[in-house]
Amino acid sequence: MNRKLFLPLGLLLTLCACGQAPAEAKTSQLFAMDTVMDLTVYTEADSLMEDAARLVSRLERSLSTTDSHSEIYKANTTGSAALTDSTSQLLDRALGFCEKTDGALDLSIYPVVRDWGFTTDSYQIPSQSELSSLLQNVDYTRIIYSSDQKTVSLPQGMEIDLGSVAKGYTSDRLIQLFRENGVASALLNLGGNVHTLGTKPDGSLWRIGIQDPLGDSYLGVLSTADQAVITSGGYERFFEGEDGTVYWHIIDPKTGYPAKNGLISATAIGSEGVYCDALSTALFIMGPEKAIAFWREHQDFEAILVSEEKEVFISPGLAGSFQLTEGSPYHLTVIGHD
Amino acid sequence: MIKTKTWIFLFSLLLLGSGLAAGLLFSGATTADVVEIRQDGRLVQSIDLTQVQESYSLVVTDEKGGSNTILVEPGRICISHADCPDQVCVRRGYLTDSAAPIVCLPHRLVIQAAGETDLDAVAQ
Repeated sequence: MNRKLFLPLGLLLTLCACGQAPAEAKTSQLFAMDTVMDLTVYTEADSLMEDAARLVSRLERSLSTTDSHSEIYKANTTGSAALTDSTSQLLDRALGFCEKTDGALDLSIYPVVRDWGFTTDSYQIPSQSELSSLLQNVDYTRIIYSSDQKTVSLPQGMEIDLGSVAKGYTSDRLIQLFRENGVASALLNLGGNVHTLGTKPDGSLWRIGIQDPLGDSYLGVLSTADQAVITSGGYERFFEGEDGTVYWHIIDPKTGYPAKNGLISATAIGSEGVYCDALSTALFIMGPEKAIAFWREHQDFEAILVSEEKEVFISPGLAGSFQLTEGSPYHLTVIGHD
Repeated sequence: MIKTKTWIFLFSLLLLGSGLAAGLLFSGATTADVVEIRQDGRLVQSIDLTQVQESYSLVVTDEKGGSNTILVEPGRICISHADCPDQVCVRRGYLTDSAAPIVCLPHRLVIQAAGETDLDAVAQ
């Protein structure tokens, strides 16, 4: 009797083992949203990579500020637009982040960023009067969004850009697509926005370097799984003015000038790409004191904050998983809970 | 006596083994040996930098005629010249971290490490 039972059981175990054999890595490199995206997905399904590429290009077409077919372009040029489900969902979340960060993140900063030339690579230092005039139309609270109607209306002169959250949202949607299709392991790198699904196929953690904002190497390594790791830094896009000053692309909505509030890089780590994307920009703009206070108040993400004084502040949840590189010139401090 | 010798032998073997393992772990291979040059996602060329004896330049041209000059040196690689508007790829310098590629967005050109690397990605 036992023997009869053993045979099917043995067969079943063998089948299970086969089913759990690590899937092959499929990779693709896409150029979208003004960046390069590398997707590494452990799956048997070739069609999944094509679905991913289609999803990215569909989101790009909806969210672009320069594509005349996009909903955001329409809102910016005509003052209002009907939104698809994705754009509506993202705008809803993004406005929530603007409020949560007390305006450190502001979707309506776009005309100021453009005036500095960061969207066109033709950099210039705007005059104070130019900035003051543009800043009059920077105020996310005046964006009229209806979640029921899925529409957005902007006051005269206001333009919005979802660029600060678009890549984070895209990686969330990609992770969701892969998860729904049974993928247990994937690594997405959307122009430096890293998002991991599960662990590596062998069960070990992903090793993610955090860019050294003062050099061309990385300042430390984070071991992680199932998390988005998103960094903002002044080094990403900048120019040196005729006055010898370095001006970078992260603009403080309160001043209209590049945010120089004491941080040279800010990384947010969490399960949601869109939140981490918003946070990395907002924390950078806040500067170290406000960013640490923000973390203490919410504690719904992990953070790596790098100050001008080469201090690296990490939230306590990272104490066992983040390490500075050997011989690092930086000094590590774990943020206290209060 | 024999017993002690056996123990010493086994212990030496253990030491040697861990030394080798540590050497492999901490060799700090931050610069990739083999790199891939890709344009618009397609592989243009794969180069084993350890096999490069003399420096040479390589010109890669995209569909619209935009070009990048890639400088291949023994053990390292960079983009030395490009006719793109932003020059981000030239300013990037040599490929230092195996996980952070050199990217020329206007020409959709990427130089990146091939195969297993020390890091899986760099957040930047």
